[in-house]
Amino acid sequence: MPKRSIGFAQAGTQVCLSWFRLSIMKRFFIHVYELTAFSLRFFKEVFLPPYEFGEFADHLQNFGSRSFPLVSVIGLLMGLILALQTKPTLARFGAESFLPAMVAISVVRELGPVITALVVAGRVSSGIGAEIGSMKVTEQIDALEVSSVDPYRFLVVPRVLAGTIALPLLTAYADLLAVLGAYVFMFISGGMGWQLFVTSTVSSLSISDIVPGIGKTFFFGYIISIVGSYFGFRATGGTEGVGKAATSAVVFASFLILIMDFVLVKVGILLFE
Amino acid sequence: MVKLFGNLRVSTIPISSYSNVPTFQYSVLLPYKAMIEIINLHKSFGDLAVLSGLTLSVARGETFSILGKSGTGKSVTLKCLVGLLEPDAGEVVVDSTRVDIYSRKALSEIRKKTGFLFQSGALYDSMSVLDNLTFNLSRHHKVTHAEAKEKSEHYLTLVGLSEAIGKMPSELSGGMRKRAALARALVIEPQILLYDEPTTGLDPITSAGISELIRDMQGRFGMTAIVVTHDILCAGIVSDRAGVLKDGLLKYTGTLNELAEIEDEEVKGFFRNPL
Repeated sequence: MPKRSIGFAQAGTQVCLSWFRLSIMKRFFIHVYELTAFSLRFFKEVFLPPYEFGEFADHLQNFGSRSFPLVSVIGLLMGLILALQTKPTLARFGAESFLPAMVAISVVRELGPVITALVVAGRVSSGIGAEIGSMKVTEQIDALEVSSVDPYRFLVVPRVLAGTIALPLLTAYADLLAVLGAYVFMFISGGMGWQLFVTSTVSSLSISDIVPGIGKTFFFGYIISIVGSYFGFRATGGTEGVGKAATSAVVFASFLILIMDFVLVKVGILLFE
Repeated sequence: MVKLFGNLRVSTIPISSYSNVPTFQYSVLLPYKAMIEIINLHKSFGDLAVLSGLTLSVARGETFSILGKSGTGKSVTLKCLVGLLEPDAGEVVVDSTRVDIYSRKALSEIRKKTGFLFQSGALYDSMSVLDNLTFNLSRHHKVTHAEAKEKSEHYLTLVGLSEAIGKMPSELSGGMRKRAALARALVIEPQILLYDEPTTGLDPITSAGISELIRDMQGRFGMTAIVVTHDILCAGIVSDRAGVLKDGLLKYTGTLNELAEIEDEEVKGFFRNPL
């Protein structure tokens, strides 16, 4: 192939690649823009009647109690693994007695909220995306509109409220189980009695650990539900569209949870330290 | 269209837009008696023009069928009528109220007196069949839950689904879903009923049964109806008049017998292959 043709081919490839990257970036920013508008609408609609108390109660139960078994297992394992990982290191420095404090602070400040949120996002955000997505592609959302029912107020507001309230409760529960898990490990490995463990844990925690740790889960709960709803409403086509909505909901929700966590940790440090 | 007084309006649309009558460009005085009036409706999706000047008038109590191949804009027309889609241009008037101007309150009032039978039935799959019917009734029609339940049971019995009251939509067959959706559309006792492909996906016997049921309900309640279909047998059973949608316009309108005489391959195709 002549040199000039190779040059053209390379230039063409570069142009195509740039165009491809631009189109991905463009799609991403369109999502961000539309998701922002969709999310902000919640703060207007939540105050407008009719208030869907029945729907709210159903979703609170769905979000909360159905995530309960999963969160229980994750919480317990989180504490067990953390204790298992850190005990040898602490033992090397003769600081095994700091293990309850280390587990408690790590779990309450960071691991508990983030891991619980990511696990619940995998379960709930995809569920909301698939549920609303399938309503969209089977014209059920159109049917709501034709019946003079605002789909946003009926489908999104109760889910987001339920998510925002349920996640902090689930996180507090997961934190407790993680501490319990760490104690179980310490007890089995013959390190520490119950009373000493509890005293050491409680004395190591302060309000500046608990408030930012639990506080940020309100934001995570909001993100999980609003992102699921957003991708559900955007679903097009048939079952493929529903699948895409569910997957995108989990990916985007997880991504936003981590970004929000970074921002809130920074805010927490500014406010509490 | 300029409103003069009461129901009398001056149309500024050329008379040729109203039918396939060959053209003379005069404005006409229209006594505004039609329940549904669509004037010069345009709707595009991106570069694809779906409707390009559709005009249609349906009198009170009349059942009008819109025939056309898939993708000609039949469902789009229905969705523009209830504000699910916003027209690019043109007027959509339902019971003397402009729908296309998008006043949320006016639209809500129109929707409260409009039943819509979706192509897929669109039953809410998280609710039982009974709840699907009572949902809309108890929210907007000022009836107690007991009254809503009683009324819903009555309409489910009318469509022959009394045994399916407590079932979930996923437990119903295609024909039963269509009948349940019809009962849901009827239970609010609408003045207008819009049917989007009521017989699509059903076997010929069930299709005929659904069409007879629609005809029966129209006879009983005297609603104004538009039926979107490509099933000529269904159109034959349910409609007083019909029109063929082609190139974004209602090219031909008339009774089915009149349409059958039209020398157009596409129209003839409907009559040649009734299913």
